[in-house]
Amino acid sequence: MSAGMLALKAGRARRRGSLLEYIVIAVIVALVLSFSIFIPGFATLGNLRVIASNSAALVILSCGMGMVIISRGLDLSLVATMVAGATVFALSSDSGIAWPLALGLALLAVGVIGFINGWLIAYVEISAMLATLASAMVVTGFFRYVVLGGEYLLLLPKTNPAVIFFSGDIVPGLSAPVALMIVSFVLTAILLRTTTFGRITYAMGDNFQAARLTGLPVRTTTLMIYVYAAVMALLAGLVTAASSGTVDFRTVTNGTLLFEVILVVVLGGIPLRGGRGGMRNIFVGAALIAVLRNGMTLVDLTTQTQDVLKGLVLIIAIATDNYFNPRDTETDTVGDL
Amino acid sequence: MVPITKNTLPKIITGFAICALLALGGGGARADSNIAGKKVIFVPISMGITLTEAWVRGMKQHAAIYGYTVDVRDAHFNTGAMSELLAKAISDKPDVLVVHNPTVQLLARQIKQAESEGIKVLQINLQSNQPSTAFVGANWERIGREIAEDIVKECGTGSGKSGEVAIIPGQLTAADSVIMNEAAFKVFAAHPEIKVVSNQASDWEPEKARQITATVIQQHPNLCAIFGHWDVHTMGAGKAVKDAHLEDKVIVYATGGGDDKTCQAVEDKILDRVWSYDADGQGRDAGTVIDILLQGGVAADHSMLKIESPMKIIKTGPTYSPNLCFKL
Repeated sequence: MSAGMLALKAGRARRRGSLLEYIVIAVIVALVLSFSIFIPGFATLGNLRVIASNSAALVILSCGMGMVIISRGLDLSLVATMVAGATVFALSSDSGIAWPLALGLALLAVGVIGFINGWLIAYVEISAMLATLASAMVVTGFFRYVVLGGEYLLLLPKTNPAVIFFSGDIVPGLSAPVALMIVSFVLTAILLRTTTFGRITYAMGDNFQAARLTGLPVRTTTLMIYVYAAVMALLAGLVTAASSGTVDFRTVTNGTLLFEVILVVVLGGIPLRGGRGGMRNIFVGAALIAVLRNGMTLVDLTTQTQDVLKGLVLIIAIATDNYFNPRDTETDTVGDL
Repeated sequence: MVPITKNTLPKIITGFAICALLALGGGGARADSNIAGKKVIFVPISMGITLTEAWVRGMKQHAAIYGYTVDVRDAHFNTGAMSELLAKAISDKPDVLVVHNPTVQLLARQIKQAESEGIKVLQINLQSNQPSTAFVGANWERIGREIAEDIVKECGTGSGKSGEVAIIPGQLTAADSVIMNEAAFKVFAAHPEIKVVSNQASDWEPEKARQITATVIQQHPNLCAIFGHWDVHTMGAGKAVKDAHLEDKVIVYATGGGDDKTCQAVEDKILDRVWSYDADGQGRDAGTVIDILLQGGVAADHSMLKIESPMKIIKTGPTYSPNLCFKL
């Protein structure tokens, strides 16, 4: 195959890759228009604020997951790490430790989890899906039984520093969770677009073996990616714990949050085989889920019906993604998801 | 020696009278109080919450007195695992099986199977469609009705309020949610001024309840009341009300086991009125019923023995006391 044909093929793939994003944008516009016409109370500034604050944790988690998936990885321990980090912070600050130190301890705890994930994947060479699935179980079990003594729920007092911080506004009209969401979003975008670390992440996702053979530090980058995802999980955990006043382990065992995070990334147009996409895709995916969830709540659909609809959307998105990004000799490798 | 006083004399006479009646009664069923070594298995929806922990504490206190065992098989909120645990528990042939039903239907067939194999089944707090030897727990119909009537009083005609109500069940098919919703909607049907603007389950999660409430409040800024089916997840809803600075406008109702966290939430104005079925007392009731079942006691017509938990209403005001709640 000539170099010209290869370039043509790559260009076509890029165009095809972004097509899903355009389809999703079209769906969002259609949903927003129809919800604005048919659902009273949807097109209001107050509701926009609710959509933003209800999506804060989801978007922050998606920043971490997005980066992992772009590097052709997957982090199924993200929600477990989120709850574990929030637990460490809540327990430390409630035992009288000053909040900066409590935050440091929580960062250390999630950093260790992220490091172990990265080490298992980069050095022990276990597949990302299995390594993080196993670590999610270990983390949940350890924190529930050893740290919380079997409890499922940790109720935070209103004096908890996280509760106080995240209940307030940074500037009038901009709540702390939404501000943190914007900061995480911008930070991830800068890391991916402007740093060497970001370029290596894309190179790993595009062709891991080629990146490795070129001499790129794929192992240390993998470690950093999983630690970064774990830190994002901690931030999301603090937002969730503070806004609901609880640290709830059922978010890991029964909840649909992990599913929603993957949904945001895939729907936004970042293919599960990595190497493509960016924060714009996360924004598109999160917008669709947030609008869909808000509209379904406003029309009083049951939670089960909402899950069915979200599941259908995911199946359609993955099928569409597969159609526009078909596996070929370039993208299909051993151990691919 | 204890002197016989004016107070003790009637007790002694009553005691003799009961003994005489029992002796004359002759052929009736006899209780066997030697129940040491008998086996009780409890399959809860999940341990690690004060509700079930309080029950187990109560049951184990009774078991320690009589010398029988209480074995807990924790389903960790996993309904699939619960059916398997129950199947294993039935095959272990306990003398009494205590079951905490997540839904009205899920364990019905297994409860029937256990009873047909001679295992006495005590259902605790959440009742299945399938009757069994005994039930200890809250009267959900009464709670649903009483809360709905209170909502009508606070939000109905003459109150000057919108009459808009949001209901947040745990799961739409959970026994308590099914019965409470039925009872509440029956009351609301007679009061067309009450409008249920949202009825979405939170899957028992505070964060989901918070998100639903934050959205519903935006659409219905004049919302008058929220009826949450469990105090723990309703705290998330209460937090959303507080974040919207509507805690003086929206009354947050809940039900629950009434531990110290509930009283704290009432003091913090996260919850306004809680119908507590006192999990601590239920633990003792369950222990007593197990004692009776192990000693051979059953309803005379073999119908279901029912022990209804007394209610405590926890709300701010002159009736409030932190002693209304228990601490594990």
